Amino acid sequence: MTVAEPAGPRDARDKLALLLSLIPYLMDHESASVDEVAAAFDVSPKQIRDAVYLIAVSGLPGESHSYLPGDLFDIDWDELEQHDRIALTHTVAIDDTPRLSAREAAALIAGLQYLSSLPEHADRDAMSSLMAKLERGTAAGAAQVAVAPAALRDTVATIREAIEKRTQVDLDYVSARGDSERRTVDPLRIESVNDDWYLRGWCHLREAVRTFRLDRIDHLVSTGQPISEHAAHVVLPERLFQGSAEDLTVSVDVVAAALPLIADYIPDDAARIQDGDVVHTKVRVAHYHGLKRMVARFAGQVTVTAPEEARIAVADWARAGAARYEDPTA
Amino acid sequence: MSPQKVPVEERLFSLVLTLVATEAGLTKSEILSSVQGYNSRYREGGDNSALERQFERDKDDIRELGIPLETVEDPGDPGNNQGLRYRIPKAAYDLPADITFSPQEMALLRLAATVWREGSLSADSRRAIMKLRTLGVEADDPLVGFAPRVRTREAAFEPFEVALERSVVVNFDYLKPGETEATKRIVEPLALVQFHGRWLLHAHDKGVDAPRTFLLSRVIGRPRVTQIGFTRRGTDYASHAIDELQKIWDRNQAELDVLPGTDAWVRLSKREDARRNDDGNLLVHYSDTALLADELAGYGPEVRVIWPQRLVDAVRERLRTTLTAHTANTGVGEVDDRG
Repeated sequence: MTVAEPAGPRDARDKLALLLSLIPYLMDHESASVDEVAAAFDVSPKQIRDAVYLIAVSGLPGESHSYLPGDLFDIDWDELEQHDRIALTHTVAIDDTPRLSAREAAALIAGLQYLSSLPEHADRDAMSSLMAKLERGTAAGAAQVAVAPAALRDTVATIREAIEKRTQVDLDYVSARGDSERRTVDPLRIESVNDDWYLRGWCHLREAVRTFRLDRIDHLVSTGQPISEHAAHVVLPERLFQGSAEDLTVSVDVVAAALPLIADYIPDDAARIQDGDVVHTKVRVAHYHGLKRMVARFAGQVTVTAPEEARIAVADWARAGAARYEDPTA
Repeated sequence: MSPQKVPVEERLFSLVLTLVATEAGLTKSEILSSVQGYNSRYREGGDNSALERQFERDKDDIRELGIPLETVEDPGDPGNNQGLRYRIPKAAYDLPADITFSPQEMALLRLAATVWREGSLSADSRRAIMKLRTLGVEADDPLVGFAPRVRTREAAFEPFEVALERSVVVNFDYLKPGETEATKRIVEPLALVQFHGRWLLHAHDKGVDAPRTFLLSRVIGRPRVTQIGFTRRGTDYASHAIDELQKIWDRNQAELDVLPGTDAWVRLSKREDARRNDDGNLLVHYSDTALLADELAGYGPEVRVIWPQRLVDAVRERLRTTLTAHTANTGVGEVDDRG
């Protein structure tokens, strides 16, 4: 399994938030190792050391406007230089956790709303009291950003239990081709993108890591069998959909505004040539069955230009769809 | 010639400390002449306009972090800008002391923060967690193998979010489905909401003087954030907007003839609130005809819409468009979109 990279402060505001947060934290910890503090704040030890050096030379201008020692923070320098430990010995002006900004509170509240349909968060009162606390933690209320709860099915609970117990699941999966197969899967992770939920795991039938849409899964059962050796050593790539050597590359014209909507299908190294309102680029698909569905969803916005077989596959699909309205008995 | 450069965060940090420490507040010239990061560039009696502009930007940065930087008028000289004093009241800076979280709540908050992996909400949630860590509560074990994510990929998201936070009017071009030309909208943004996977802006449309909801994916180009402020009259716009969208969803229904065992059947039958009627057809709810038509067109022959007629027309139109685009100028097959 992959471990997320610790996200470092990216700009001055992030760095300021770290400085303001470090002070109350260090006041509560008489002497803390740099590594321990770095782990607590999900940043690198170097970022912590840089922040502490900055804190140690900062403070108030004072009466004389000359930043005299009594007006500055101070640390135990020997502890830092010899033992890589931080001990604040003098503080000025601030000593408490800062409030959340309107957007910070909103980000957490909207995240909670999205997760509120998870079975273990069924306690509505506990959830709304948590959101109310965040709202109260701001100076002027949270920003108006909200996410409707994700529609989750029982399958999510079953799969998550299997992931925790490291056991297999059996399921019927309908592919984009339209055929259904019974599969045994070592479940590794449940992921979502907005309203779409995915199971990623080791597929025994394909002998590879596969991503399954939850809404294409039927008759899922937990078998209780321990997951295979393969699954135990899998490193899940960050991208949901991985290209494979057998993938087909297709040339498309995309209306510029629709480009972000099909970004997942465009290989990183594909050229994107702007031509008026249209961008000429390429998409990668496992087979034309997936392609025709995707293109038909973006009528007038995505057009296949080559190869010819791909154009025919899309045209046949649209023609067959249109034909259903001409002769309903067909 | 140029004084040693002080990093931005050092200047901001010094400014926060100084403004928290002052009770009466400090004037702009007192700040610029004394605070680390400004003082070495301050010219007594000279032109400090560049420094003043920097101070304005720094105030915005500090306020965006949720720090209540106040402006106090000189009671003896109201209206005089030079007499304005700045301060950060300690009580409004500190998180209220009674706000605490259990280890379980902390784990939930950390999970909620990971929902955002991109854009400004990701930075915002990271900073929020950073601040809350100082409370010293250890989170329960994180949930293994669970990576929920909400995307904010639409180009309009960021400018709308900025306009929302600053309570300023925003202008944009909007293409309604079925129309060929985008129209210019001038709105007061009230809330950004995601409903069934789609981001929408709920706003007061100044053109029609009424509330309207806009799909971000239909905004053309980049919205223009103005400096024109407005006052919100109500609260809770976001939850009201979601309630309204839910009412529309409940009201709109379609009957679909779906071929059993197909991809369309498996997915549509799992749609929220979908059910099968006595004819074996699927009844589904939806919020927007064009969005549902896009999805149904993707299923090609696996689905036939029975009603409503406007959905039938929208799906047929899309299929014809796709067929025409993929048969024109190739010599393969006729453009027989009329059957």
